[in-house]
Amino acid sequence: MTDARTPIAGAPPDAPVADELLGTTDVTVRFGGVVALDTVSLSVPPRSVVGLVGPNGAGKTTMFGVLSGLLQPRSGRVRLAGIDVTRSSPQKRARLGLARTFQRLELFGELTVREHLVVAHRVRQGRDRQFWRDLVGLGRQPSPGEDDAVDALLELLGLGAVANRPVVMLPLGTGRLVEVGRALASEPRVVLLDEPTSGLGSHETEQLAATLRAVRDERDVSIVLVEHDVELVLSLADSVTVLDFGRVIASGPPQHIRSDPAVQAAYLGGATETQEPGDA
Amino acid sequence: MEAYVLAGLVFGSIYAISALGLVLTYTSSRVLNFAHGAIAYSAAIFYYWLNHQEGWSIPAAGVMTVLVMCPLLGLFLWAVLFRRLTHAPPEVRFVSTVGLWVALPAATKLLFPFSKSEIFDAQGLIKSPPDIFDVLGINVNENQAAVLIAAVAVVVILTVVLRATPLGLATRGAVDSPRTARLSGINTSGITAGSWMVGTALAGFAGVLLTPILGLAEVQFTFLLVASLAAAVVGRLTSLPLTFAGAMLIGLLQGISVDILPDQGVLSTGVRPSIPFIVMLVSLLAYQGLRRERFEIDLRAGPAESEVPAIERPRGWRAAVGPGLLVIALFSVPLLVDDFWIGVVSQGVALAVLFLTFTLVTGEGGMLSLCQATLAGVGAFSAAQLALDHGWPVGIAVLAGALIAIPIGLLIAALSLRLGDVYLALATLAFALLVENLVFAREDYTNFGSGVEIARPVFLGIDFNDRTNWYLALAVIFCVAALAVVTLRRGTSGLVFASMRSSETAAATTGIGIVRTKLLLFAASAFVAGIGGALFAITIGRATVTSFNVLVGIVWLAIVVTWGVRSALGALLAGIIIAVIPQQLNLLLVMIVLFTALGFLARLVLTREIRKWWGALLSVVIVVVAVLGMKALADVEVDDSWAEVPTLLFGLGAVGLARQPRGVIFDAVNRIRLRAMKREAPVPSSTAEVVP
Repeated sequence: MTDARTPIAGAPPDAPVADELLGTTDVTVRFGGVVALDTVSLSVPPRSVVGLVGPNGAGKTTMFGVLSGLLQPRSGRVRLAGIDVTRSSPQKRARLGLARTFQRLELFGELTVREHLVVAHRVRQGRDRQFWRDLVGLGRQPSPGEDDAVDALLELLGLGAVANRPVVMLPLGTGRLVEVGRALASEPRVVLLDEPTSGLGSHETEQLAATLRAVRDERDVSIVLVEHDVELVLSLADSVTVLDFGRVIASGPPQHIRSDPAVQAAYLGGATETQEPGDA
Repeated sequence: MEAYVLAGLVFGSIYAISALGLVLTYTSSRVLNFAHGAIAYSAAIFYYWLNHQEGWSIPAAGVMTVLVMCPLLGLFLWAVLFRRLTHAPPEVRFVSTVGLWVALPAATKLLFPFSKSEIFDAQGLIKSPPDIFDVLGINVNENQAAVLIAAVAVVVILTVVLRATPLGLATRGAVDSPRTARLSGINTSGITAGSWMVGTALAGFAGVLLTPILGLAEVQFTFLLVASLAAAVVGRLTSLPLTFAGAMLIGLLQGISVDILPDQGVLSTGVRPSIPFIVMLVSLLAYQGLRRERFEIDLRAGPAESEVPAIERPRGWRAAVGPGLLVIALFSVPLLVDDFWIGVVSQGVALAVLFLTFTLVTGEGGMLSLCQATLAGVGAFSAAQLALDHGWPVGIAVLAGALIAIPIGLLIAALSLRLGDVYLALATLAFALLVENLVFAREDYTNFGSGVEIARPVFLGIDFNDRTNWYLALAVIFCVAALAVVTLRRGTSGLVFASMRSSETAAATTGIGIVRTKLLLFAASAFVAGIGGALFAITIGRATVTSFNVLVGIVWLAIVVTWGVRSALGALLAGIIIAVIPQQLNLLLVMIVLFTALGFLARLVLTREIRKWWGALLSVVIVVVAVLGMKALADVEVDDSWAEVPTLLFGLGAVGLARQPRGVIFDAVNRIRLRAMKREAPVPSSTAEVVP
């Protein structure tokens, strides 16, 4: 890989969007008779925060499934770093610089907080493929720069105090932070965060927002954010896409979204629906 | 030809009845019951006992077995076991039912001692000899007609009930979304309990029907299980009509093949077990395109178990104390026991090497493979033949045998892994049965029961025909292999394995190649199995078919799980115990006393009560009582009627300890620690909000 931070340079000249790290064109997903996503197009430029909002069942998590490779779209394309990854496996996409968290926590139950970050960091270095090296006892050595990178992330997310605790003992909100840490430890170019603040208190939410800004600016990472907390998204995002019943009903800078009548209608229409916090 | 088709349809009907029960219980609780064949076996024995020994009439014994005993057994098993399994991780679900598969026949043989020898005069639900009548020019006997009618009736009734009644609607609701169903007032527990009762009754029904045709031997019920599993795979574990069709297809193919193939030799005996495998394989390949489903299912997976905080790993020189003592104990065995027992313990250590295969594939990989014994057999037979027929040096032959096992293991894993763990378990079981009956059954392997000889080597001037020398060689090999496994686990690979076991979804999106990692583990485990199998064969002097058959393999798995499927110590204890206990059954009693005493002592130490005067006194009393008790028990005469007890205990051990991959000792220590912690202070974790 030549210059990891300017992937567009290697893209074919007819790449759909010039300044794009991650994008989809007309993605459609059906579950049986239900259309979960209907010709959804999305574009995430480098070094940006893109918000993805919408009422329950709008297709946000499905979209993350499609972006990360866990779900195959019925039609449409997915591009990552200028490469068509529509049919690529989740691990290939991870190695191209995509990381994600899960709305319903997917932690590694037997590992400590620190080990979550370590394993992500080492996988990024390709050390999960060094079976023989592990077999002769070299597998415990940290990679060069690993300790510093992991410690810095632990501090950034305020996880230092629980670093050596097994994750099963942690509160829900802390678990979400561990997932964020694991995603960032793989040194991604773009991170998909699925409801990172649910389960966090208001103070913690503010802290996380500040952290995410810092991540974008200092680590040069793009963020795609799915959140119930619409105010948070509007304050954090450079652009926002609103989904409703699997369709994009609005897309643009936060200030435009705030005043968009279609968005207000969708949210008022969905207001009677009780939201399940955390769905746990 | 018609007669063979008819015979095939009869077999197909029995498979169908059994398979429908399997699918019913799977859909209602997501637990694939590997003990299904064992239930059929127990029911058949019970029926035989009522009918032949107690003189009950056929209808009375039939109703009692199929409609009373089986549903009650199903209810009981649901209440104590299956109910808890629905939300357990996949490998726990598998291992628990495999443990039941081991325990249930052992319990049956204990309760009904006559069942230890094979029974040929069992009769079915129709009086024997049955009347024969003519249907469209084919002679059909009443027994066959009854079986055919019963199978059609079962599938029709089940389908109608599930599709067209309120009960069926409630059942389907409870299966699709238990939570929603519960909120709409459906008694989901009642429905799952009911399906287990019906499923168990169907297993028993199939067992009773099968008996007059094939006799009452445990292995026949393994065939029944595998044929039912294959039929269920055709129905993708959910569809009743497709499962029925699959069962009939398997029966028909078997019937027709008997007509076409020669009467003699390995093809005639090997074809029955190979047809379910082929049907399963074709279905698996046909369903490859559906592999993406797995992730959707995973997204709904149950919550992780929270457990007691881990014991802090000792550091520095302390870390070497435990393993060091173990190595010293291992190497001092020849000083402590006579030649006979050195030979017995040698078998145990050879098996311990073999058992590391489970440590890798099930312990580290979280995969349930039921063909590890077969891979060990491949290693053993290959090594024996290379050494005997081709004159290879034994050491080289052992390595070569293990290398031959690798591609075979990889092939079966590669075919089934992408579809998810449940299919891996199914395919490996079918594959094991296929190899056992099609390959190992060849005359050059069986050699009329005496197997293929394999001599011990003379290497570097050391004669390994000497028992002590060979024992020490095995001990060294075990230490090296165990060290390799532990090193792998402590390194990055261990982190990767643990990640993959907890959440394949998150592991994949973190960049871990799931299939690649699993194949790697499978290859390593096949290699270890091959080495261990060959070493075991060398220890007993020959590679025999009976050493490596499917049922032996599942007992191995059960005992390894009992002693710790994720620890090298577990493998060692499992190997030694499985070799030693059958030689002297009262050692089992001695062991129970020993471990109970150790448990009490550990509790006194961990609660620090031993520092008080009464604690100290109590510990002395425990030691004295235990020593006296063990001495007394060591002299007790234990007869053969106890022979099934160890198997039963290990089966139950696997059922109970599937959740605790580090085995019975670790589990006991943890429980004691938890009690000690509770006594000292309220559990800290209960104050924090626990991750769901």
